[in-house]
Amino acid sequence: MKVIFSLAFYSLISRKVSVFLTILCVSLSIILFSSIDNFRQSAKKTFFSNAKSGDLIITSRSGEIESLLYLIFQIGTPTNNIRWKSFKDIQNHPDVKWAIPISLGDSHKQYRVLGTSSDYFKKIQIKNKKLEFYKGEHFKDIFDVVIGYDVAKTLNYKLNDKIIVAHGISSQDFHDEFPFRINGILKKSGSNTDKLIFVSLEALEAIHKDWQGGFKLPNVKSKPTSFNKSELVPKEITGAIIKLNSKIKIFQFKRDLHKYKSEPIQAIIPGLALTKLWQIVSFVEQILFLICYFVIFITLLGMAASIYTNVNQRNNEIALLRVVGASPRSIFSILILEGIMISLTSILISILLMLLLNIILNPILDREYGIYLEYNFLSTYNIIFYCSVVLISILVGLIPAYRGYKKSLNSGI
Amino acid sequence: MNSKNLIEIKNLEFYWNNQDEFKIQINDFSIQTNEKKLILGKSGIGKSTFLNLICGMISPRAGDVYVLSQNLSSLKAWELDKFRSENIGVIFQEFNLLDHLSPLNNILLPCYFTNKDLNKSKDRAFLFGKKLNLNNDLLRKSNSRDLSTGQKQRISIIRSIINKPKIILADEPTSSLDFDNKNSFLNLLFDICNEEKISLLMVSHDLNLKNKFKDVIAFESFFKL
Repeated sequence: MKVIFSLAFYSLISRKVSVFLTILCVSLSIILFSSIDNFRQSAKKTFFSNAKSGDLIITSRSGEIESLLYLIFQIGTPTNNIRWKSFKDIQNHPDVKWAIPISLGDSHKQYRVLGTSSDYFKKIQIKNKKLEFYKGEHFKDIFDVVIGYDVAKTLNYKLNDKIIVAHGISSQDFHDEFPFRINGILKKSGSNTDKLIFVSLEALEAIHKDWQGGFKLPNVKSKPTSFNKSELVPKEITGAIIKLNSKIKIFQFKRDLHKYKSEPIQAIIPGLALTKLWQIVSFVEQILFLICYFVIFITLLGMAASIYTNVNQRNNEIALLRVVGASPRSIFSILILEGIMISLTSILISILLMLLLNIILNPILDREYGIYLEYNFLSTYNIIFYCSVVLISILVGLIPAYRGYKKSLNSGI
Repeated sequence: MNSKNLIEIKNLEFYWNNQDEFKIQINDFSIQTNEKKLILGKSGIGKSTFLNLICGMISPRAGDVYVLSQNLSSLKAWELDKFRSENIGVIFQEFNLLDHLSPLNNILLPCYFTNKDLNKSKDRAFLFGKKLNLNNDLLRKSNSRDLSTGQKQRISIIRSIINKPKIILADEPTSSLDFDNKNSFLNLLFDICNEEKISLLMVSHDLNLKNKFKDVIAFESFFKL
């Protein structure tokens, strides 16, 4: 076997340029496949881990996925609000361990402003870790604000800097009479929270005192100092994240909430809603994978064609090997092994390049999309994939190997 | 079968399926120990086919080929491959070295398909390398691309004797050599064969080689075609 290996290896070395190009093609096609899979897995993991803190998401009745995406990931358009009284009813339910209100709508320089209670920073977990402060702490005063790491970094904000919140996501109307003071900056979490600006619900209530139906009332101007915290009770919120005392009660609680009489409310199980979302996109995923497998197959077929062409030019080599004692099976094995070596080297190179790509791309993807690529080349999925690449290379390699075998039967001095 | 004969051929008949005019028929042919035979014949007449029959690369349609008293047709394919690598040395036309292997690995190629001790074979390769003016550094070169014709000749000779065969089959090894190189190659080959007590069967179309061999056979007249 060692001989067969050496002969195959040296034969490949002697054709280094064409072999290098073949390895490059196979590596790139493996990288294409791995990148798509890596991105898909990482995005899925990021989405699921970000939505894991609560057992249920409460919103007004609307599309489950749409509501979840908006409330947890701030993706999409606003849904209807639920009344503060309804939230308090739910929060005070004996089965509820904790409930965190969330109010969305305003923004600051394209970053979403999220109104919540200070419990958000104690209860919400991202990737199984509680949110931590890089600097400062959560809001103490009404007009205190906590900003995500990316917001601070991108906009070069420091503690105690003042910021003005705009009404709506791309509005030209600013709540400029109510400047917020940065009281805390969160540590990087690799999630959408890095791009959020957190304010208290009281603050949101305060800055909207002079607003009605989405418009600022003319000739009314409240002052920041004129508010008493106890008076600033929100009328509505976008939704809430609920944690129950017992996971067993999730489905019963969800059913009960759907029967809530005061207003139409829905409870979403985040994991289930995200699974539904993934089922919708899985069709596109499957097509992408099919294309990638096709690319790999074609590339390996190219490799087989290159070995095949080479077999036709190796009459002397095959004849010599046969005469010095190599069996036709040995010739067959050498040619199959050449294919395997090419595919194994390509896999190795693609793993190294993928690790390098991850180092280069991770900061960009994390910054832009909150997705942190975790490339585990030893995962069962990847190992199965690499084995299938080797298997395909063996299968397509059978064509030149059989050609070599037939040739060796008739070769000689 | 005569036990003195290294190679003995009886009533051999061979033809290719798709070539009606081509047929080799040998009633009786033998080579004895230390014998050196030259078979002369025109190109394309079947000299290489004849050598392939002797080393078992192809099987006769009828008759038997005995090498070292072993009837080749009684051996299984893998036994035949092993038998060939252990007992028959071959020198090719233009020497047929694999460029991508080192000269040493080219020499050792027949050893890789036998159970012989590779270290001993290496020592033997270096020993003969020294005898034939091929130093160890040259033998260990990473490839055999830049070797001179003379170096290739000597390496192909060492390769043919590395497994201590009883016979060397040489297929027109001098066809591309000039007069001087031809002479020096043959002298070297004869010396080695004498020294190692190896019989030599060479085929060629070169009539000038007649004087170098005591035993010369004309392919056309000896073998019925």
